[in-house]
Amino acid sequence: MVIPLEGLEYHPSGGPDDRHGGQAAVSKSAPLWVRVRKNFWTTRLTALAAFLVVWWFLTTPWAWNGDKPIMLPLYLPSIPSVWNAFIRANTIHPIAEGVDREVVGEYGYYLWQHLLATLQRIGIGLFFAIVVGLPLGLLMASVKIISVSIEPYINFLRSLPPLGYIGLLIVWFGIDNTSKIWLLFLAAFPPITIATIAGVSGIKEDQIHAAQSLGASRLQVVSSVTVPAIAPDLITGIRVALGFAWTTVVAAELNNGIPGIGGLAYLSGTELKTPLTITCIIVIGVTAIALDSIIKAMERVLTPWRGKA
Amino acid sequence: MSRDKSLVIDGVRQFFGPKNSRVQALSRTDLAIEPGQFVCLAGPSGCGKTTLLRLIAGFIKPSEGQITVSGSEIFGPGPDRGVVFQSPTLYPWMDVASNVELGLKFQGVSKDQRRADSERYLQMVGLTDFAHRRTYELSGGMQQRCQIARVLASDPEFILMDEPFGALDALTRERLQNELLDIWRKTGKTILFITHSVDEAVFLGARVLVMSPRPGRIVFDEPAIFSNPGEVIAAEEIRSLPAFLELRERVRNAIQHSH
Ligand SMILES: Nc1ncnc2c1ncn2[C@@H]1O[C@H](COP(=O)(O)OP(=O)(O)O)[C@@H](O)[C@H]1O
Ligand SMILES: [Mg+2]
Repeated sequence: MVIPLEGLEYHPSGGPDDRHGGQAAVSKSAPLWVRVRKNFWTTRLTALAAFLVVWWFLTTPWAWNGDKPIMLPLYLPSIPSVWNAFIRANTIHPIAEGVDREVVGEYGYYLWQHLLATLQRIGIGLFFAIVVGLPLGLLMASVKIISVSIEPYINFLRSLPPLGYIGLLIVWFGIDNTSKIWLLFLAAFPPITIATIAGVSGIKEDQIHAAQSLGASRLQVVSSVTVPAIAPDLITGIRVALGFAWTTVVAAELNNGIPGIGGLAYLSGTELKTPLTITCIIVIGVTAIALDSIIKAMERVLTPWRGKA
Repeated sequence: MSRDKSLVIDGVRQFFGPKNSRVQALSRTDLAIEPGQFVCLAGPSGCGKTTLLRLIAGFIKPSEGQITVSGSEIFGPGPDRGVVFQSPTLYPWMDVASNVELGLKFQGVSKDQRRADSERYLQMVGLTDFAHRRTYELSGGMQQRCQIARVLASDPEFILMDEPFGALDALTRERLQNELLDIWRKTGKTILFITHSVDEAVFLGARVLVMSPRPGRIVFDEPAIFSNPGEVIAAEEIRSLPAFLELRERVRNAIQHSH
């Protein structure tokens, strides 16, 4: 997602609390990569500004170009038009210029309602993926016959592009939310199960032995050793699953996806409302990064021992 | 010999690997350990000391023979046999005090009682100030102390220790040896202490065993008195006693000539 600059050992998540993110004074004569590393946010914001300038340059009418922008608005809308689309999507506004009838947001929902609908689907799908994927992983890791019989199907399922079987799910579960949630569930649980299995196989044998010698029952071994020991792997699995579910849900909303941010992106594109499409794309991307940061923060809070023991 | 609470290893042999290319780790071993004894087992590395300890702990089943505690055969690990592992197996998701309390928690002891007990044992091993640290914040010596407190708190009959001080520097090791002797005198636990250091075995053991190289066999079994002085003698003095040096020499010979 975020490419490390110059391969230097800083954490791409960065942030004000980042080791290298402080505004430490850096000598002007220092090499470029040292300055980049020391001024994390300055660099990021400069890059963003440069990007916006290029966008503005490409979409502004120029006299030398016959008073036309270099890229036509249908292909690349201007920054103000995207901003307007964003505002329209969040307000009650006239259905068209000079028409009295007013409508809410886009297709009857505010932008945040579209986003929320998508997030809800993700939340429910991921919830079931954890509820099923974690115990299944534990079971597969401890009962050989179960892992031998189920593993090929999980790998099979994992190799399928979810869009390949959405049609089938629609036939089975209808065109509404249920089929979408099933799709998310099916996309999200294999990474969680696989991470759980990897976590269990990474547990040191003596950690189990130690608990047994302290008098732990089978159940107590699971709750006091197995589950906490796999927590770091599990959180990684959930992170992978969430990323996967996010790209899948947007695609899943191609059919009957309103309200839904993916449905909105798709529909607006088919109706040539490019500014709205770009608004949606920005919202989708920013949300994905935000979700990922939340999980990374949870990782730090819930498993502070990761990599230390 | 009192049968009560004694540990008896009866005709045990241990093989590893598949039938056609199996490795014998332990040749026929018979051994009885009586309650309250501090038994040291010395031997070159790879001779089968850990294997014997894991058999007693119940982590593996003997290929032949049986192991009994108080006359009944052991099946698997149990809280009557506490283990101090060679490399500390503390749980990094718990703080030091919770690690120490774990055995009591498994037994269903109330939280207040657990706190009280863990405080007592943490004090015994000198970790009071570290009760709420994470285990990975402790030094190697402190981690071994924590393991010892964890085992003591769950109050086993036997404490099985696998080269617990092997990875520590000489000064820390000597301190912990003296602390362990203190604890043994206070609690009267039965201890099986494995080491590859002849000096450590003779200094700590009330009984010193030597195991031959693989397949392991007990080739030397004698009482020692240095952990049991009538009056308290400083460790350095004990180590310079002629009797200490003499026994140490004989143990060393036993190890060398068992090859
Ligand atoms: N699980 C096992 N599988 C195969 N060989 C083993 C296993 N455990 C121990 N051994 C072998 O048994 C011998 C004794 O090992 P060990 O008891 O660890 O020796 P020590 O603790 O005295 O150094 C070694 O040769 C070792 O390779
Ligand atoms: Mg060993």
